[in-house]
Amino acid sequence: MKSTLNLSPTDAPMALGELLAEVDRLDDALAGNASGISLLFLRNVTMEGVEPFLRFRLLKRGIRPSLRFGGYGSIRQDLAEAQSPSAAYQPNVLVLCLMLEELDPAYGMPGWTGARARSELAELLDAVAASNAPTIVINTFVPPFRSETGFQPPKTTPNMEDEVAALNQFVRQYVRGNSPRFCLTDWERLARQYGEADSMDYRYWYMSKAPFKKRFLDGIAHELTKVVLALKGQAKKCLVLDCDNTLWGGVVGEDGIDGIRLDGHDYPGKAFYDFQKTVLQLADRGVLVVLCSKNNETDVFEVLDNHPWCLIKRSHLSGFRVNWEDKATNIAALAQELNLGLDSFVFVDDNPAEVELVGQALPEVTSLLVPQKLYEYPALLLRDGWFDTLSVSQEDKQRAALYQGEAQRKAERTRFVDIDAYLSSMQIEANIHPASDGEVERVAQLSQKTNQFNLTTRRYSVHDIEALRSGSDSAVFTLTARDRFGALGLVGVLIAKKEPDHAVVDTLLMSCRVLGRGLETAFVLDCMDQARQRWNIQQWRAEYIPTKKNGQVASFWNGFGFTPAPQDNGACLYRLEAPAADKQVPGYLTIRRE
Amino acid sequence: MQSELIEQKMRKVMGQVFKLPVESIAADASRENLEQWDSLKHLNLMLALEDALGVEFSDAEIAEINSYQGLVTALRHKSS
Repeated sequence: MKSTLNLSPTDAPMALGELLAEVDRLDDALAGNASGISLLFLRNVTMEGVEPFLRFRLLKRGIRPSLRFGGYGSIRQDLAEAQSPSAAYQPNVLVLCLMLEELDPAYGMPGWTGARARSELAELLDAVAASNAPTIVINTFVPPFRSETGFQPPKTTPNMEDEVAALNQFVRQYVRGNSPRFCLTDWERLARQYGEADSMDYRYWYMSKAPFKKRFLDGIAHELTKVVLALKGQAKKCLVLDCDNTLWGGVVGEDGIDGIRLDGHDYPGKAFYDFQKTVLQLADRGVLVVLCSKNNETDVFEVLDNHPWCLIKRSHLSGFRVNWEDKATNIAALAQELNLGLDSFVFVDDNPAEVELVGQALPEVTSLLVPQKLYEYPALLLRDGWFDTLSVSQEDKQRAALYQGEAQRKAERTRFVDIDAYLSSMQIEANIHPASDGEVERVAQLSQKTNQFNLTTRRYSVHDIEALRSGSDSAVFTLTARDRFGALGLVGVLIAKKEPDHAVVDTLLMSCRVLGRGLETAFVLDCMDQARQRWNIQQWRAEYIPTKKNGQVASFWNGFGFTPAPQDNGACLYRLEAPAADKQVPGYLTIRRE
Repeated sequence: MQSELIEQKMRKVMGQVFKLPVESIAADASRENLEQWDSLKHLNLMLALEDALGVEFSDAEIAEINSYQGLVTALRHKSS
């Protein structure tokens, strides 16, 4: 087996027979006890070869996919079929796989231009966009591996290289303009990464229209897995970094700030510098960065504050544990401080013993070891898409600031003994209203990634939220809050649906960082009031669907006067034979509906 | 490689590709009488045998081999 940078904890066995056997074994092991996802491949070539690789990668992450493939060259018919109301198969993800050779048979003829392929493509994209598929994945084309014009491209006539590049540019722009519903598997980039020999299977291409080698197929599977994990709300949210030999080379306590290896020019200092760059990229996308290091605090912060090449500064950190306690205890404490589940943490350390300890004590945490080949280190965080989400909202970008405000709020809380007096002093304002245009993306994102305070854990795409928001029998409410330390952002979503004689709370979720202030009570009461006014209903239904994460809200509805009816599967249905709940909005909150 | 060993490895791969217990694969199995041996599985079978035995089939072999005995013959020939 060839070792490449793509090796990761979920890498598939590359001998096909072994892979198939492993997929069967994992599938049996997970039967009845895994979350599902359905993908429909619409394609103009044979793509079935991707199946074992995709199944393997998803099964490894606890997801059992159902895969279907449309017919060759019948994309429009397949689309129409999937659209019909009687269709038995409603895919969560629609994957369009197109080869240029099939899209325009004239590809490769002298004087060929991309014009016809482009109009075919535009038509197809419009057709899939008009479908009700919540998430759609499309590909760029593999550029030609050889020049048809030799070493001097002609000045006037078109050449394939430029034409394909322009088509790919069109695809990327289309995805950008239609994100987050459209996602990209960049075949051009995969071909660049693996090269012609590991990408193209000319033998099977001519014999069976199956264009790709297994390395390339696994690359496609890898990209699709990232999309599915993001859809499933399994994107990681917090990066925990060791310091010595992780943020820089050497040990600051021994080598001193001038002795550690970290700089923009020389190896290995540049490997650490480039790694820090990727940390900043993640921080910019809203990933929280925290430190967990056995060190003296003053030594570490001297580097962060004063080292000329240290990119990570105090202001990037949402927390830190620089002490001599064990790292599992420290990480658990950080999770509590940030109100995040341990499974949203990625931990990076150079010491195999620490990685092992954290792996055993906190198996939910994803622990990564700094590679011994330091030149592979800068790619560590981005290659497996641990932190990839379907969209990055403005709020993500400000998240570090939001959490820093939270640290100040906690400091304030310890000064007050009387919690109500403390909450009054916070001057908390809640704004509760039907979701606006600008909030749809954030609402979908919260539904995809909120795990703990989430009564039903239903995941919705932007497309779904738009539909729920515009329907006359459904309503999407949002909660935006602020206090005297600043904005808390959009932190709650409630989706209500109207039935003939009652209304149902389909979804209720809250961001964990705002709990414990009565906001959840105020939010529910006010949404119920707004829904009652809108629909004139007299009764309510609600439910709790248990997951591994949402135990904290198991009895949430009991507090509102609902009558529980426990179900066999651990879920609980609730009835309220009254238009409003028997509960008061806390007096210290200011409620607005703007 | 000994021909029994080749056949043993071949049977294992056939079991993996067709999702069948190795014992149930008959020596007279063919694309005609083995339901699981469809054209997509055939492509996988050839790739998986190439991986497991370190051989490469020609385009003609891929198109023509259609039985257990045909595979045995081709693989023996390649490894001799």
